[in-house]
Amino acid sequence: MIARARRYDPRPWPRRALAALGAATISGIGRLLLFVSFATTVAVVAFRREAWRGPVWLEFKRVLHEVAVRSLPTTVVTGMLVGFALVTQAVYWLALTGTTGLVGPVIVILLIRELVPILVGLIVFGRSGTATLIELGEAQPKGWLRQLEIQGLDPLALLVLPRAVAFAVGAFCLATVLLCSTMLTSYFLAYSLELIAYSIWDFADAVLRSMKIQDFIVPPLKCIIIGYMVALTCSTGLGRRDESDELQRLVPRGFVRSALAILLVNTLFDLVA
Amino acid sequence: MAARPGRSVLSLQGVALADRQFSAHTARLDLELPRGEVALVQVEDEHDAAMLVDLCLGLADPGAGQVRFLGVDWTTRTPRERFHRRRRIGAVVQTDVWPSHMTVLESVLVARAYHFDQPQAEAIVDATELARLFGLPGLPVGRRETTPMRALVRAACVRGFLGSPDLIVVQDQVLDQSSELAVPMAQAISAACDRGATVLWITASLATQAAQFVQPNHAFRLGDHGLMGVRRSR
Repeated sequence: MIARARRYDPRPWPRRALAALGAATISGIGRLLLFVSFATTVAVVAFRREAWRGPVWLEFKRVLHEVAVRSLPTTVVTGMLVGFALVTQAVYWLALTGTTGLVGPVIVILLIRELVPILVGLIVFGRSGTATLIELGEAQPKGWLRQLEIQGLDPLALLVLPRAVAFAVGAFCLATVLLCSTMLTSYFLAYSLELIAYSIWDFADAVLRSMKIQDFIVPPLKCIIIGYMVALTCSTGLGRRDESDELQRLVPRGFVRSALAILLVNTLFDLVA
Repeated sequence: MAARPGRSVLSLQGVALADRQFSAHTARLDLELPRGEVALVQVEDEHDAAMLVDLCLGLADPGAGQVRFLGVDWTTRTPRERFHRRRRIGAVVQTDVWPSHMTVLESVLVARAYHFDQPQAEAIVDATELARLFGLPGLPVGRRETTPMRALVRAACVRGFLGSPDLIVVQDQVLDQSSELAVPMAQAISAACDRGATVLWITASLATQAAQFVQPNHAFRLGDHGLMGVRRSR
């Protein structure tokens, strides 16, 4: 243990506080710019055909299976719970007030535009992102990142690229599953409780009619970007240099960053669209 | 040794090896390795040996001097170009280190599949042949945790010698201590040299049994100030 004496700073405390605030802001903006450049680089590399070599494809398929197939039960159960908790409540209250015509818009606005992308982002992070974070967080301390570099394997191409694209595609697939399971659960529950009397086709028709063209574009795009951002925040685990940066700190930090990324992407899409 | 960058596979000219653990001096390294030759370098400290490997493979830039691989200074290349050039290097280092998300088999073959368009079946045939040379019935298909250490060390040798690399760098203390691997290693090195590859073996001691079976063209010892030629007798 080395004891260090604090450097004496002759400036008055308001200036010291302002300097600390400025330093924190500059550091935060620096990190944000670094992350944006990282995300752009991965996106540019993803569109290069030569980047998709055999091992990259294999890794993509493995991660996509992990994200889209292994997370299916979790997604279906979440969809059923959400369907029960949210949609049936909405249908119940709307039926009570006699304005069932609003069922479609409420479901579309709440579920398709807002809830599904956020929930999918959290599922993808919880089910696959934490595993990625721990896996890549061990790459440098355990020495296998150096091993890959010695063999001339670019970690960006071999580790980050397939994960980013697989998370993006997987998030879109899971969003579709989540939406379907939520809708079906809510419909059958409401129908069995005699809260609604119309057929499933009329229910689907009401939902589809209330959707605009951008609802077929923006929410899927939102899910894809959210999956991509979750993968990138988890890939920052590669920056863990040694065992002194404990895994117990890495995972909560990754969760906070992923949650912020999910909410930020959601908000930006809401503002733009 | 005269510096002839155009003819050497690996060339170190006035390279500074600084930040050493057990020496206050910065060593100046000069080394020329022509095609098809073997050099044994005794580096007692593992930290220094790892630094030397990093310099030779372009993973780290020297504070002073130049490291040239196939006549090209590593520092003049971008990181992407360096990755690409390393496809021509085989390395038997960190024999206990394996990626956690791959099987040992995948890890052995991944570099060949990534850099070259060789069908996987052909690569497996080549790798199996090498595995047999190193005393394995075939390549381990399990993950690192379920594979015995003995098999991992041999698989690491296969990983380093697979294909037709121009330069093979060997550095691992486990290899130095393994007398069982001495003969297969010497055979593999001899075969690689016949093919035109250059081999640099960084060993903790030139007296280890593993290194005794190798017939080097050059033998050095890393001292306080640099590489010193050593004469070996069997």
